[in-house]
Amino acid sequence: MIKTFTKIISLFVFVISLSSFSAKAVELEFYFPVAVGGAAASTVEELSNKYMELNPGVTIKPIYAGSYTDATTKAITAAKGGNPPPMAVLIAIDIFKFYDEDLVLPWDDILSDEEKENWLGGFYPAFMKNSQIDGVTYGIPFQRSTPVLYYNKDAFREVGLDPDRPPQNWDEQLEYAKKLTKKGSDGNIERYGIRIPTKGFPSWLTSGLIYQNGGKMTNGLGTETFLDTPEVIEAVQYLVDLSETHKVMRPGTLEWGATPKAFFEGQTAMMWTTTGNLTNVRKNAPFDFGVAMLPAKKSFGAPTGGGNFYIFKGTPEDELQATKDFVKWMTAPDQAGVWSMATGYVAPRPDAWETQAMKDYVADFPPALVAKEQLAYADAEFSTYENPKTVKIFNTALENVMSGTISPADAMKQAQADIDKILKDYR
Amino acid sequence: MKTVSEFFSERLNVIGAWLLALLWVTPLLYAIWAAIHPIEYEANFDIFAPLTTYNFTNAWSQAPFARYLINTVMMTTMIVISQFILCTFVAFAFARFEFPFKNILFALVLLQLLIMPDILIVENYKTIRFLGIMDTILAIGLPYMASGFGIFLLRQTFKSIPKELDDAARIDGAGILRIIWNVYVPLSMPTFVAYGLVSVSFHWNNFLWPLIITNSVETRPLTVGLSIFSMSEAGVEWATISAGTLMTTAPLFVAFLIFQRQFIASFMTAGIK
Repeated sequence: MIKTFTKIISLFVFVISLSSFSAKAVELEFYFPVAVGGAAASTVEELSNKYMELNPGVTIKPIYAGSYTDATTKAITAAKGGNPPPMAVLIAIDIFKFYDEDLVLPWDDILSDEEKENWLGGFYPAFMKNSQIDGVTYGIPFQRSTPVLYYNKDAFREVGLDPDRPPQNWDEQLEYAKKLTKKGSDGNIERYGIRIPTKGFPSWLTSGLIYQNGGKMTNGLGTETFLDTPEVIEAVQYLVDLSETHKVMRPGTLEWGATPKAFFEGQTAMMWTTTGNLTNVRKNAPFDFGVAMLPAKKSFGAPTGGGNFYIFKGTPEDELQATKDFVKWMTAPDQAGVWSMATGYVAPRPDAWETQAMKDYVADFPPALVAKEQLAYADAEFSTYENPKTVKIFNTALENVMSGTISPADAMKQAQADIDKILKDYR
Repeated sequence: MKTVSEFFSERLNVIGAWLLALLWVTPLLYAIWAAIHPIEYEANFDIFAPLTTYNFTNAWSQAPFARYLINTVMMTTMIVISQFILCTFVAFAFARFEFPFKNILFALVLLQLLIMPDILIVENYKTIRFLGIMDTILAIGLPYMASGFGIFLLRQTFKSIPKELDDAARIDGAGILRIIWNVYVPLSMPTFVAYGLVSVSFHWNNFLWPLIITNSVETRPLTVGLSIFSMSEAGVEWATISAGTLMTTAPLFVAFLIFQRQFIASFMTAGIK
């Protein structure tokens, strides 16, 4: 009985190994997460199919891997289980985790000097900030985003504001929000002036406020955070004041996912959310809307977000070369344009915006340009070693501030102390 | 004659049960509401809102539902049948045979109950890869087939069956297999039904392991295939999700309604809460 079993197994293994040796063509598995709904998955498939038509020797196998968290788990399991995918699109801020666990390969290792100069050098610098450690590139920007301000032009007209002049700075933002806040006949607030969602991942939008206020969150090496600095505390204070003091934002913590709906239904006249929402808002807002850069304090400022292409250690040389070729093709102007138009992600290279298709797109729909312009002021998303833990501490602190249980200064000092405990091993 | 206080406590029980039942059924009612109305009515309750089947066709067309459904059914059937067979034999051995280190071995089986399956993901992945069955439905099921919980449950049930029945069958000349099949299995039916139900609902809803071990539409179960709808930076599409959820849970729901009586009876006797 056991003998037959062993025989079957060894036959099986033999057949498998035979089939993998006899295949000459390179097959590349490629894990990708979906964070913006079904359309993204079909676009990835279409692009991969097109690449295979152009390159008959290569098979690309795109594998949908769930949310960012799931995709990271899947990739790490496969890599530790001895079967790393050649490449995967994974969230940019997990860079320190992959580096720490020694799973990913620097892109610099497989690029020629010419490619480093012309290809690597051609991405927006803001997007490279979460893609490099100490000057070494581990991630190639692909599905990247940044938050912007959406506003209801009809509501602006109703209260006598110029619909083509969105707020430029914090004071204007507050002043506009006051004008836009409307009480119903029963004395309850019917429409709030602004909504900056604070539940889910509040640290992302808050980092916009921090950058605008001239603050800094991390040292860029993943080993130190600066959450107890005055710039950070002031930024959090501004956020909480919007609802607590000025009552122009709904009190309590505000759901990220429900924010576009609140905007469509007129419960808020302005909202901060990702450019990834552009297509959604365009399709569903029943009124005339505008898009603007996040207002400035000391300067304009915003975080970036989203996912990068990583390559994994243990991938054979021929597959690495094919992977490089594929990723270069995916981020080339035409394909980056298709991807950007289908999903709302920001095309990661200036040259992608120069194609005819993209020019036609922005001529027809100018709000798509706002994110691109904002990139000049954008900075890294919060990212450190042990990122899931540190981000969670930061997020929980912000949620506690917004629900009114603790002052911004106390919350940030406590968060900084907690994060220090975790990061001290890495210094 | 009931006293006044008895009368009230009975009433309170009934009211409490109704409240709990309502609370429990609310998400389901909401899912039905969101699924059969246009998106504008997701959060507006208007009794005269127009009805639509768009959400169902939309969800159906965005994913190969039928394929995922077949995969899920195949996967859960395979797991549950294997669990029944393996657990019955192992449990019988622990309940009725004497062999060296029996208690230590049984303790080892029980240890499995204490270990979260998620911790073993990398090791399981290595094993599956060694066997060369990556990206198959068998690979999803294999790690769950020898269930410590099932063995424990069946052993307890088998132990409670009077030894006399066993002896009587033996005197009549029945072999071990026949005794298991004709004496132990029929008398343990409630346990099998209850355990089967718990197992089916667990594996029907399992997400992380199938996501990690499968790569293609041909092998992925419903949970993995449909997760795409809930991934949205742009806000959640409740109408589509609700329609998708209703379609995927419908088979389980219908099965439960049909076998409701048996399930409840089984749970009462098997003592799984």
